[in-house]
Amino acid sequence: MIELKNVTKYFMTKKGKNYILKDVTFTIPSGVNIGILGRNGTGKSTIMRMLGQIEFPNHGTISSKHSFSWPLGLGGGFVGNMTGKANVKFVCRLYGRNKQETQKIIAFVREFSELKDYFEMPIKTYSSGMKGRLSFGLSLAFDFDYMLIDETLSVGDARFKKKSKEALIKKIENCHILLVSHDMGTLKELCDSGIVVNNGALYYYENIEDAILEYAEINKRAG
Amino acid sequence: MSRIKKRNAFQIFLAVQKALFLRELTMRFSVSKTGVFWTFFEPFVQVLVMVLIKVLLFGSATDNFDFAAFLALNFTAFNLFKNIITKSMGAFTANKALFVYKQVKPIDTIVARILVELFITGVIVICFVAIGLYFDYDLKVQNLPMVLLGFTWLVAFAFSLVVLLSVSNTFYPSVGKTVTMLMTFLMFGSAIFYTMEMLPLEIQSLLLWNPLVHFMEMIHGHYFYVLDDGLVSYYYMALWTLIPLYIGLWFYGKLEERIISL
Repeated sequence: MIELKNVTKYFMTKKGKNYILKDVTFTIPSGVNIGILGRNGTGKSTIMRMLGQIEFPNHGTISSKHSFSWPLGLGGGFVGNMTGKANVKFVCRLYGRNKQETQKIIAFVREFSELKDYFEMPIKTYSSGMKGRLSFGLSLAFDFDYMLIDETLSVGDARFKKKSKEALIKKIENCHILLVSHDMGTLKELCDSGIVVNNGALYYYENIEDAILEYAEINKRAG
Repeated sequence: MSRIKKRNAFQIFLAVQKALFLRELTMRFSVSKTGVFWTFFEPFVQVLVMVLIKVLLFGSATDNFDFAAFLALNFTAFNLFKNIITKSMGAFTANKALFVYKQVKPIDTIVARILVELFITGVIVICFVAIGLYFDYDLKVQNLPMVLLGFTWLVAFAFSLVVLLSVSNTFYPSVGKTVTMLMTFLMFGSAIFYTMEMLPLEIQSLLLWNPLVHFMEMIHGHYFYVLDDGLVSYYYMALWTLIPLYIGLWFYGKLEERIISL
């Protein structure tokens, strides 16, 4: 359960406040995988970042008992001069893993990301696809209550995409996801419910199909 | 696969510090080998150059305390202060990619950089002491607890300044440049290669406005038997530690969320 109480979030533009959320009070129920839909620039990623507690509402509170992953797909948090392995170790330390657990996670990420020898090379030598694979593998190694995923499923080649989708489907047996995506196929496949963000308000749909229909409607209205 | 544990705030702080410290250290020493070399070699060059200048200007007349040891002590203290300020000032912007991990608070990155500086200073001190012992320098300390207190207080002073400075530097980058420039002036005006007693009274009263002078006088005043802390105002030092700390933490508290979502 994620509770939003009188949440207002805006960004200042030259012409005044651009509202992402305007006095929204809302409870997102537990136990469902949720897709977030909205047009470009409506604030899907901002909402994601607020749930991950790295962006904060201007007014109101967001509270939840669950643990959230860092928002995946930003590609941030990696140090270019350090090797992939060192970066994985760094995140393990942040989450207070002991040596044994860290070794397990490293082995898993190396295996999953298929970086082979590049795993011991500095991140700055990676292509963006390789970085994405590392980042996705790393996030799978931790068990959060909710994973915040921002369009990261489009990482890597077709084979890796298929692999990561399968891994994610297996993953959501034990945890839940909040997924921002423009790919309706992915949304239908992974999510149960949907949230449509539009004009500073949230609309919740118990069935992801309804959310997709509404989203199509909004797009049609906008021309 | 690996469950997220419930940890209290202090456990999180420790884990974050450990991670950041090791990361900073690797970064510092992996970027350039010459950088590593200079980090450890600079203090020795500073001491050597100043000893040479003194010998050239005033001949090799001996003071009643060891000038080389005096310089080594003062440069260690000053470099520690300078490096804490200049290196930690940019910690927020340099580490903003890490704020995607919610347990990393901006102020943690300052603390981690200070710990790295303390570690480096520790290594340098060990080198200085080893050299001193090898060449039979007189390293006897008049009042070790007070010297250590002086160093600790200096770090606290640097911390309180750097919180304020890094918050302002984040929103006004020219602050950082100005401070870096000021450091050169500070090196000459902070009783590093002279004691205050050597100076004429007028200059003394002027320089005593500089808080760093008090820290330096406190540290070497308690280290050498022939020097004392007669000109040190502990009250003035406390003011300079507490007021910036209060202002800095106040601004930090107000702006933390903005710094995270930079």
